[in-house]
Amino acid sequence: MIDLKELILPKDNLIPLLRKLKKEARLIAPVQNAYGDTLFSEISDLDSAHIDLDNQPQSSLKPFLLPQQEILARYQVDKAGYTFTPPEDEQETIYFGVRSCDLTAVLYMDLIFSKPVKDTNYYARRNQSLIITLGCNHPFANCFCEATASGPYLEYGYDLQFIDIGDCYFISAGRIKGADLLDQWSYFFREVQEEDRKARYQLLLEARGKFTRNVQVAHACRRLQKEPDPEAIWEALSRRCYDCGGCAYVCPTCTCFSLDDMVLDDTQGLRLRSWDACTSSGFTRMAGGHNPVDRRCHALKRRFLHKLKDDFARHGKVSCTGCGRCIDICFGGVDITTFIDLVTAVEAS
Amino acid sequence: MKENFIPEPAVIREIITQNEQIRTFRLELQDKTKAFTFLPGQFLMLSLPHCGEAAISISSSPTALPLIDLSIRKAGKLTAAIHEMKPGAQVGIRGPFGKPFPVDSFSGRDLLFVAGGIGLAPLKGVVDYCLFQQELEEDSVLSMTLLYGSRTPSDIGFQETIKNWQEQGVDCRLTVDIADEKWQGDVGLVTDLLDDCTITEKTTALVCGPPIMIRFVIARLSSMGCTDEAIITTLERHMKCGMGICGHCHLDDKLVCVDGPVFTLAQLKTMDVMELG
Repeated sequence: MIDLKELILPKDNLIPLLRKLKKEARLIAPVQNAYGDTLFSEISDLDSAHIDLDNQPQSSLKPFLLPQQEILARYQVDKAGYTFTPPEDEQETIYFGVRSCDLTAVLYMDLIFSKPVKDTNYYARRNQSLIITLGCNHPFANCFCEATASGPYLEYGYDLQFIDIGDCYFISAGRIKGADLLDQWSYFFREVQEEDRKARYQLLLEARGKFTRNVQVAHACRRLQKEPDPEAIWEALSRRCYDCGGCAYVCPTCTCFSLDDMVLDDTQGLRLRSWDACTSSGFTRMAGGHNPVDRRCHALKRRFLHKLKDDFARHGKVSCTGCGRCIDICFGGVDITTFIDLVTAVEAS
Repeated sequence: MKENFIPEPAVIREIITQNEQIRTFRLELQDKTKAFTFLPGQFLMLSLPHCGEAAISISSSPTALPLIDLSIRKAGKLTAAIHEMKPGAQVGIRGPFGKPFPVDSFSGRDLLFVAGGIGLAPLKGVVDYCLFQQELEEDSVLSMTLLYGSRTPSDIGFQETIKNWQEQGVDCRLTVDIADEKWQGDVGLVTDLLDDCTITEKTTALVCGPPIMIRFVIARLSSMGCTDEAIITTLERHMKCGMGICGHCHLDDKLVCVDGPVFTLAQLKTMDVMELG
């Protein structure tokens, strides 16, 4: 791990620091709402917002970098013709309290939205973002980020990484933007002492020992690369998939989308990008009704193979970050860990 | 600038009725100074007011630029809407997208085109392109044969084009599934026309049509000795972005919109595609 800068932030200084940051940019952090749900939300008032760093946020950063619905253009049909206008520029945004799995997902999105073409709408937001992660000292019940190499602490990719070492945060700057922030607000921080380093290391070892789920991601990946697709497993899983798309929506790396025009009136409309799910039957259906994918037996095939086999072949890493959100959302009980368990349970042929 | 999804305005200059279902729309970019080129086999995302977008393959050759032909069969909302449009109307285009046919490797080859219905559209640009090269006597192909199947005689599209091709030395053979009283030609599936064809090591077969046709034609060509590298087809899939991001045309570790839509049989055999059954 190479960091540009390391400093210590006493916890008493956290809110004063965030107050300074909020003056310069939009501030997004995990906030517990009145219903007890913790969701990444924009902070309007630091004194009244309940920033929740104890529970896993139910949402990831996906809704901010790839909104559930986004205006890609406005179109006009009139005497001047059929013309399109792009949307406005984005504002600078600081994300605080982002978990390791969710930052890993952002790095994956960076890849997807840059090859072979750079998605200008995604990068307009991404280039205006600064991400501060919080390493996980206490993995949550469904977490398995250790098996996907995306936690509990990160090695790279963050602008700043915070590790809670008791009465202060151990802070590492992984990118220039993060290091610049530390320089700008240097009076909030103190230098790192040897005992801070020891505390951090001790906590990392303890965190690694606290995972309760044993998900054999690497084993499943190797098997999927080498062996024929497990047809019998698809059929068993597809029977329990209800086409709700929940797994794809909560997944921080499910980036498939649809493009549609919304008519406002005879002369104008919006070109919208909305989340889509490859598990749904309409995903591959063509004009005229023909569908090259038989959903009855292959409802989940694309999604799981895309994450564990195809992305591994294409990019050299899986696109599951072990956040575990799809486990609770799936009422059919056919989340990705069920699939991994089935793949790894089959005797080698 | 958020520009990825902003189409370029284009004007319909001419409309050619191919049959009841298929019309060819001859487009030209409104901004004539805009650089635009493509190769046969590539496709565009076509925007129509209030209809959104659809992926349509270009049916003309780049040698006909600045005009760009899109031959469109009425199949859904957008395609039905363009059939109602008149010359002078404005549409939007994004592209070109996708891998083209490997036209640079066709010199010294006998090209065998096998098409069914609207499947002739993406192949038409290749024939036109190769005829243009022949005229220049540059890197030209040895010969071109077209086997074209339609459902009934009234479904035969591109009749004017086929007549011109024949005059220019393309061996065109037509067949229909169901004949009427006036039809004098072959009756039967397009695979039957392969009986009279000879496959040599110089043959490159280009196949496009409904999935079931592609499957049987490929099987027949293989049994006649055509190699997997010499059989080329183009796939049709639901697409939204056209540039490898939206995921709709995901096919194993490939995306049809950037890795295809043109694939050799050798490539297809590494994937799980319905066209191969």
